[in-house]
Amino acid sequence: MTQGPGASRPRPFPHKRVAEFLLRAEGLTKVYPDGTVALSGVDLTVRPGEVLGLLGENGAGKTTLTKILSGLLPPTAGRILTPRGPVRFHSPKDALRIGIGMVHQHFALVDTFTALENVALGLGRVNFSLLRKKLERLVAETGLRVPLDVPVENLAVGERQRVEILKVLARDVKLLILDEPTSVLTPVETAELFKFLRNLREQGKAVVFITHKLKEALAVTDRIVVLRRGKVAGEVSTKETTAKELARLMIGVEVEPGRRPVELSLEAEFSRAAAPGPKGEPILMVKDLQVRSDTGELAVRGLSFELYPGEILGIAGVEGNGQTELVEAICGLRRVEAGEVELLGRKVTGRPPTELYRLGLAHIPEDRWKYGLILSFTVTENSILGLQRERDFQAAGFLRARAIRGHAARLVREFGIQTAGLSAPAKSLSGGNQQKLIAGRELSKDPKVIIAAQPTRGLDIGAAQFIRELLFRLREEGRAILLVSADLDEVLALSDRVAFMYEGTFTGIVRPAELTAEAVGLLMGGVKAGKG
Amino acid sequence: MSWVWRGFRPVLESVLAGLIGLGVGALIMRAWGYHPWPAYVALFKESFGSGYGLASALANATPLILTALTFAVGARAGLFVIGAEGMMYMGAMAAVALSLLRFPSGFHAFLALFCAAAAGILWGLIPAMLRAYRGVHEVISTIMFNWLSHFLSFYLVANILVDPIRAEKTLSIAKTSRLPLLLRGTDLSLGIVVAAGLALVFYVFLWHTVAGYEVRAAGANPHAARYGGVSPQKTVLLVFALGGIAAGLAGAVEVMGRPPTYAVYSGLTNLSGFGFDGIGVAMIGRIHPLGIIPAAIFYGGLQAGARLMQMEAGVPFEMVRAVQGVIVLALALPELTRIFRVLLRGWRLRGERA
Repeated sequence: MTQGPGASRPRPFPHKRVAEFLLRAEGLTKVYPDGTVALSGVDLTVRPGEVLGLLGENGAGKTTLTKILSGLLPPTAGRILTPRGPVRFHSPKDALRIGIGMVHQHFALVDTFTALENVALGLGRVNFSLLRKKLERLVAETGLRVPLDVPVENLAVGERQRVEILKVLARDVKLLILDEPTSVLTPVETAELFKFLRNLREQGKAVVFITHKLKEALAVTDRIVVLRRGKVAGEVSTKETTAKELARLMIGVEVEPGRRPVELSLEAEFSRAAAPGPKGEPILMVKDLQVRSDTGELAVRGLSFELYPGEILGIAGVEGNGQTELVEAICGLRRVEAGEVELLGRKVTGRPPTELYRLGLAHIPEDRWKYGLILSFTVTENSILGLQRERDFQAAGFLRARAIRGHAARLVREFGIQTAGLSAPAKSLSGGNQQKLIAGRELSKDPKVIIAAQPTRGLDIGAAQFIRELLFRLREEGRAILLVSADLDEVLALSDRVAFMYEGTFTGIVRPAELTAEAVGLLMGGVKAGKG
Repeated sequence: MSWVWRGFRPVLESVLAGLIGLGVGALIMRAWGYHPWPAYVALFKESFGSGYGLASALANATPLILTALTFAVGARAGLFVIGAEGMMYMGAMAAVALSLLRFPSGFHAFLALFCAAAAGILWGLIPAMLRAYRGVHEVISTIMFNWLSHFLSFYLVANILVDPIRAEKTLSIAKTSRLPLLLRGTDLSLGIVVAAGLALVFYVFLWHTVAGYEVRAAGANPHAARYGGVSPQKTVLLVFALGGIAAGLAGAVEVMGRPPTYAVYSGLTNLSGFGFDGIGVAMIGRIHPLGIIPAAIFYGGLQAGARLMQMEAGVPFEMVRAVQGVIVLALALPELTRIFRVLLRGWRLRGERA
């Protein structure tokens, strides 16, 4: 590993270098109330006049770390040092007072206020003409051109981000933290942002730039700290590193090509030798699919793939690259902008969910509490959600209570669902048992195609293993499975083919056995297969 | 056994809330120098201590059960239907209008009830379609439709359906179309059977039919309901139609079964308020069709007992209303807090995902 000059190893004369850092974090650890360890023992140094990149996958701890640095979260252990000594933040205000400001991924602007008014908010009593002068000077210095007197709702997304940045700069910060700032920007806006960041560096300010995109990290930073699973996986000088090295640090598996990066305890039983590869006719076909996100942007941009019986097609990628929208569109829960979905040779684009179920599609949804279950309903009631109109469970519009209870009891038995009883509300079940209930219900439809979105998220190891084995068994039975997961190890271990999703398209569809860690990192970071 | 406890918890909460309400009411009376004990004795002796009192409590409860059902079935689907008042006026107008025609006894009443239910459905149709297909919030549209109904009924009472001899009221309901009284000398009519019967029907609908399951699913988690193949549009239309039936019948039974006048007074004085009181009754009854029946009887009893509380205990009418208000508020509180908690959670979720 290349050690950058700022690596936090003991220095010979620490007292002489005191002024060389702006902020230093030592041994930061964060354990959330539910037991998730988001950070463990992270050291980080930020120096004046540098752009520090913070790189990592989803769940690597980037956001948690910056939340601690900006005073939004208290650390469970560890301390934050400034040149004047240790500090303790009780709120973002404390951080701002010593010159640390953060711009979040989601803007906090009042739409009907102008840029000037938005900056004035939270400054207490302000003299507007003085503030205007100050902002005009800031705009001139930084190049963050923004109309000051137009309501923010009439501004483009990039301009709104500038308002957010101005809001922070107006408070004379020395360190600016940007959380995934480019995720909402067009390429032109991104280039302008980078110019501004370099500008800021010239003025001796420091920037912490969070991203999961390798290219961006390489383009704009001076130094990069890679986080993996809550720990610092490496620290490199941007000049001396390559995309390949960063990818390897990010993914973190030192494997020779072809070896599976994860060991499943029951891997032997999964008998991968039998993996037949695509055979016969595709059972699910997606052609040039375009889908918009809730905010109206194109989240899926002309995606095509085929799913064959008896295979697991995994979709990997950093979350928020269109996976959710893709799944919802296939399952009839989101409007398809353009393109087609074919199920068993039939065009089903835009058909309602129940019709798709009848044709043989089952969907284990990403968000258990939003789509999968009605938490206030009983286990029994939840066991027929989507099946309520089936003839097994109703006669002349009346629910067949006994048949439904029998069905629920069967699911509880076959899937080993731990519950206080069939009449217990679904919210009383643990996450794993809720997921088993959903999986059981969906599989009771005897589906030909199963779309499993984040099926093991938040589950304990036993429940996750249960679900993975289940997916494997279904594949052995000749069913087709589309597995969308942010857990890279899981996708690589289970899938026959893996597609990497990046900004609404696939950067490549490959067999996991052919993958190296570097290739995985590159594909996840948006570098198309074949070029990396 | 926690889920058994969950079934009884609402009942216990309501009883506790009622006791707290009575306690606070007593404190208010004490503070103004009245004696709470004799006042409460008078209140409950009048309403529940005698056959006549009980009969008038039940008679008072009849329209309230029906308007409460309108709100409850809407709330179960996640809608705040405030339109029972307007639907009820239309039901009453339909019942009176039917008396302009002649039919054999019994069949006439049946037809009048049928038309009243239809009038209620029709009055809810536009707000329902606005909600289902245009997303217009039902609170706004149903309140507007209440006023439309209010003034339309004013006009009908004063001009079209007016009694030519007594201009302060409409024509009386034809004898063939009246609901028979269950107890002579009281104003308890067959209407209570209609109301309680409909409550039972609504209960069976919500908990034992596919459509009812879908309504409750849509109310408890609209996303999961859509995932489960429930059409949000159909749910809204269905719920409004059911609410229209209940509220339309409320107006009809009130004029067809309330001696001695069997008519609507100008200014709608003998009708106005049932629709809104129904919302309170539905809250007291925990938005459950079977809970609504005792809630409405209790509410009706409070109204029936007010007179004696005034005469025997010397508590002025305004104070009686204040004390009753406190009791009703306390009883509605558990359901209100539940609803607010649900709303709050929805807002928080939206905030996190925005």
